[in-house]
Amino acid sequence: MDPSRISLRQFHLPDVDDFLKWASDEKVTRYLRWNTITSREEALSYLQKVAIPQTYRRSICLDDRSIGYVSIKPGSGNDKSRARLGYAVSAEYWGQGIATATLNMAVANAFTEFQGLVRVEALVEVENVGSQRVLEKVGFLK
Amino acid sequence: MEVDLSKITLRPFKLEDADDFLLFAGDDQVTNYLRWQTLSSKQEALDHIKDVCIPHPWRRSICIDNCSIGFISIFPFSGEEDRFKANIGFGVAAKYWGHGIATKAVKMAVPQFFVDFPDVVRLEAFIDAQNLGSQRVVEKTGFQKEGMLRKYAYMKGKLRDMFIYTFLSTDLPANP
Repeated sequence: MDPSRISLRQFHLPDVDDFLKWASDEKVTRYLRWNTITSREEALSYLQKVAIPQTYRRSICLDDRSIGYVSIKPGSGNDKSRARLGYAVSAEYWGQGIATATLNMAVANAFTEFQGLVRVEALVEVENVGSQRVLEKVGFLK
Repeated sequence: MEVDLSKITLRPFKLEDADDFLLFAGDDQVTNYLRWQTLSSKQEALDHIKDVCIPHPWRRSICIDNCSIGFISIFPFSGEEDRFKANIGFGVAAKYWGHGIATKAVKMAVPQFFVDFPDVVRLEAFIDAQNLGSQRVVEKTGFQKEGMLRKYAYMKGKLRDMFIYTFLSTDLPANP
């Protein structure tokens, strides 16, 4: 995988079909809080209401096409120093170091983007060994 | 000072506790690791009892001979996804430290709380890494240390490292 093909950018409505491809895959959404997306309408609605407005949610892109997402969400008020990380990559692209490479970028971006951010947390289900390995490679401390 | 631990009781707060409440809630030593500001007058104590202690879902006065010398507070989270969790906090007047009072009070409070809130499965205590006294209390009452949360939260203007200790409803001893 040529790393220069991977990029992070904001979501746009035209990403809807690419977004639907991986967001409708139960393998991908299995450990996420959000429900698997099942229609183009739901996908559009999700992009419009959730993905696009969020301060730090980025599409993970391969050749500028969405194959996943990263989300970093700080708390409010007293909890602005702490943020929650979430991410997913299309199953078609697992095993190529894509999540690792993008998380490295995203976490660095977040510390610049959010003044006062000091701590990024990821809660990972005990069975989700794949994500545990990614986070360890990126330098997260268990 | 001898303390007969069998004289320790838990009960809801009353406005009449204001003077006793001020004795510990007005002491920086006691409030050092708490989120609340040290109280500085009887009026503040009355207001705190009226506006916070009494409406609280589960806050008890720790009493000796029915006199308030501390508090235990257990706060269930709200929202469909978080109702199974609650947060515990406690404090005891400094002159009563070192007698096992907080340990006794927490030991009494935990099973009662799980009866009162049967949906709660997980009690969490976030304890400042430097607060050795409270760490000992929760360890003696059977809480498990799950980990150290680095630079977890602001407490009184400073970012603190905290330990997270938990007690699950399944950790309660089986009924004899």
